[in-house]
Amino acid sequence: MPIITVHPAAVRVVAPPGRTIVESLRLAGWRSRYACRRGGCGTCKAPLLRGRVTYEQPLAESVLTAAERSAGLCLPCRAVPVDDIVIAQGEHSLRPILASSPCPPRPPFPEE
Amino acid sequence: MSVIRLGYVHIRVTDLARARAHYADTLGMDVVAEEANRVYLKSWDEDDHHSVVLEEGGVGLVKFGYKVTGADSLADLENRVAAFGATSVRMSKGDNVGIGDGLRVTLPSEHTLELYADVEYLGTKVGKLNPDPWPRDGIRGIGVPRINHALITAEDPAQLERFFELALGFRPAERLVGGDEPDDLVGSWMFCGENPHDIAFVKGPNGKLHHFAHQIDDWSALLRAGDVMSMDDVPIDFGPTRHGITRGGTIYFFDPSGNRNEVFSGGYRTGPDFRPITWTMDQAARGVNYTHREIDQEFLSVVT
Repeated sequence: MPIITVHPAAVRVVAPPGRTIVESLRLAGWRSRYACRRGGCGTCKAPLLRGRVTYEQPLAESVLTAAERSAGLCLPCRAVPVDDIVIAQGEHSLRPILASSPCPPRPPFPEE
Repeated sequence: MSVIRLGYVHIRVTDLARARAHYADTLGMDVVAEEANRVYLKSWDEDDHHSVVLEEGGVGLVKFGYKVTGADSLADLENRVAAFGATSVRMSKGDNVGIGDGLRVTLPSEHTLELYADVEYLGTKVGKLNPDPWPRDGIRGIGVPRINHALITAEDPAQLERFFELALGFRPAERLVGGDEPDDLVGSWMFCGENPHDIAFVKGPNGKLHHFAHQIDDWSALLRAGDVMSMDDVPIDFGPTRHGITRGGTIYFFDPSGNRNEVFSGGYRTGPDFRPITWTMDQAARGVNYTHREIDQEFLSVVT
């Protein structure tokens, strides 16, 4: 699985398949800088220093423009690492949290 | 005054199917009309055709509509908008699904606001004859009964407050001021009926949406709404808590495209003789979140 490294904190976490950068950090107990977590506000926008990411859901051009993408910015709440990546978090360092990920689908009620 | 209330909010969404699931299954609104790239929804206790329109492509506000008392008031409002120096154009029945003739106004803050009197009547889910207090067989998710208000951002809140007051007949209920001068306006919460607010705006970029809100019954409805948000993994901005401004109870949360929603309960009653309340910036955090007295700086800057 891809490894996410966050500068300058030098935190390293694993990105489980299909998980975004923000989700992967949350699962590993880190609160990065974000607000909506749904690709709408741009709060989490960060430089992608190394590696590649993919976007599995449509992005608003107004939130992450083509120019920003080619300048190396990514949207961590929507970006899924393709290989090992390094992102910068600037002045906003990571904060340790205990976060609950989305619930797995509930098993069907057992039949009598 | 001739403006009655917020009628509809028309927003952009990045993924129509996910947005539809959020507004229909989590908030519990009913889909009343569909086009190739748009979904129209109403809440169970609303009479009029729709109160939310979702349009695929991007995020943020396309426009919003306020209902007025009659077609004659549209001509009066058109004159007052022109006298203020703002622009408007007439819109025709059919420009919006279910909405009749009206006036499309470009606010000084560059938002598009539509005024209309005629709208297709669909009726509430409980009817008007000996109704139940809520629909016995028709609440999904939170089950929001109706839309309540919108909060937008404007580069010049003082100018926008004057516009809503002089052109549209709104009055300020609460004002957030930056310095010693009452004109150094950071935000204003304005009403056209007897709500604490029907429109609000804070200083920020023109043309942007901070949030729109659905009204729900009370504090226990808020807590139950929070349960549904957890079940559906909806990102919470903050809450449940109480606002100092409007005194309402609140949860702020995000739709699947990152547009901010609110469920709002309570709030006091205003009216034509209501004298505005002033908040100063040193108490702004208490004004927004009375319980916690602390908000992220991003609460004011995160818009779509």
